Amino acid sequence: MTTSRLRSSLLGLAIGLLSAPIAAQAQMVHQHGSDAACEGTELRCATKVTPFFAEDGKLWLAWMAGGRVSVAGSTDGGQSYSAAVPVTEQQLNLDWGPDARPKLVVDGKGALAVAFSIFRDQAFNGQVLYTRSDDGGKSFAPLRPITSSNESQRFEALALDQDGTVFVAWLDKRNRAPAKAAGRAYEGAGLFFASSQDQGATYAEAALAQDNTCECCRLGLAFAGPGRPVVVFRNIFEGSVRDHAVVTFSNLTTPGEVYRVSTDDWQIKACPHQGPSLAVSPSGAYHVAWFTNGKIRKGLFYAHSRDGGRTFSEPMAIGQADRNPTRPYVLATPDATTLVWKEFDGERTTVMMMQSRDDGETWSKPRALASTDNASDHPLLVARGKQIFLSWMTKADGYRLQAIGDES
Amino acid sequence: MKKTFAVLAVLALAALTGPSTAASPSLKPFERGSWREVLRAHAGRPTLIHFWGVTCGPCKIELPQLGKFMADHPEIDVVTISADLVPNLSTATQAMLDKAGLAGAENFIFNDGYAERLRFEVDPSWQGDIPRTMLVTRDGAIETIEGSAEISDLDKWSQAQVRPH
Repeated sequence: MTTSRLRSSLLGLAIGLLSAPIAAQAQMVHQHGSDAACEGTELRCATKVTPFFAEDGKLWLAWMAGGRVSVAGSTDGGQSYSAAVPVTEQQLNLDWGPDARPKLVVDGKGALAVAFSIFRDQAFNGQVLYTRSDDGGKSFAPLRPITSSNESQRFEALALDQDGTVFVAWLDKRNRAPAKAAGRAYEGAGLFFASSQDQGATYAEAALAQDNTCECCRLGLAFAGPGRPVVVFRNIFEGSVRDHAVVTFSNLTTPGEVYRVSTDDWQIKACPHQGPSLAVSPSGAYHVAWFTNGKIRKGLFYAHSRDGGRTFSEPMAIGQADRNPTRPYVLATPDATTLVWKEFDGERTTVMMMQSRDDGETWSKPRALASTDNASDHPLLVARGKQIFLSWMTKADGYRLQAIGDES
Repeated sequence: MKKTFAVLAVLALAALTGPSTAASPSLKPFERGSWREVLRAHAGRPTLIHFWGVTCGPCKIELPQLGKFMADHPEIDVVTISADLVPNLSTATQAMLDKAGLAGAENFIFNDGYAERLRFEVDPSWQGDIPRTMLVTRDGAIETIEGSAEISDLDKWSQAQVRPH
């Protein structure tokens, strides 16, 4: 044992001396483990694809492939796409975290607002960048940081208000250094936000909604009404308990009280890499789906709130516990609430779906929508009017936009 | 465009064939079947298996502590597995291991784009959260620590492993 450890150390030293060629070789080894089908920037090489239906019924996609974020549109419901336009010519070290993806919203006048995260240094500090197109996606403005702060930012979320205001929220580490300098412990990251009144050309100065939230999970973002964004996030409660919380803004600059979605008691000093999903139905009900591995409950859960997030229904377990249910996404359309998630049986990933016709009180039996035998993006839902689609990128089978039938 | 790819392919080939005979890389690819192989290779010896990733904040704090733990406990086999799913991150992974004093451990990096399948082989209920530490006793009993481990707990566990049975 001691001998082999010594030999390993000497080998480590030798490798250190040879670091340059070894590094090149190691990188080659790793490329075989890519979750992308190919290395180009085209849609079929994407690892993350985000859809958005504009008011005119045009489908827009933003995707991550080959170190670029690209955008294309489809006027025939995903049958064919316009030529892909990369939002920047330079190759970027895009945030590849499991919960990272490019974000895209398109306002009623056809302006496209895009945001995404990059790793800007060797220590994997993140930066949220944004751009927009005012010529229907033909060209994009130079990339700009969402905030002037140089501390790490990740996990941005974009949403469009009824009047075209673009609201953005993200996780931001700027309060860590001052806390440490003052001798205080600092956990997690701050939930920051800003908004744009000029179609995503510029954003107001960043402001803090809640400090010390979990730093490595996506945010759920929706509007409860005009000018009233709602954010669901994995918070850090007393004792490193990483359970979910919700905050509703009274206007675009004023976050309200933070309420707990559920007491799962997931005490963990780690990155769960599993953020929540949020939808607000026309009735004003909040629908939230999340993953936890807490002492009180483990797995995937759903709950709703009918009082603006103050209280939530008893969490309902989603999916088959022995099939690793994960990556939930909830969408509320005028007459249905739809949930999708992934299940895995050791070989195959299946997207499961269930629907509620009574605003989340009762649900249809889960049903399989699609499956794949290799790496895949999180399943997402998107709607054009009442028609709901599953949007899912898979390594083996490419991108699919699949219409979902009536499940009631 | 095609020409560029051809040149890249030649360079790639050179990278694969050139230095690989000089020394085997410290980072081993973790692929289908690797988990079974790790358990088999360390069977009968107390082993600490640590899953981590270069972008995980808590991992950055814990890794040097594990480096010290390894130095203090030569009787325990230490295995690290980078469980992030990342293109081109081997260099950063190796650099962090070196800095943490873990270059001498047996170090793996996920090398299958289908990360769900790799994780399922390790533990069907693991959803990818890191850090995560698995403590394997001589008789193969596994205890899993979710999140950052307390080094005092690891010390206690390792002391229990050296006691005569």
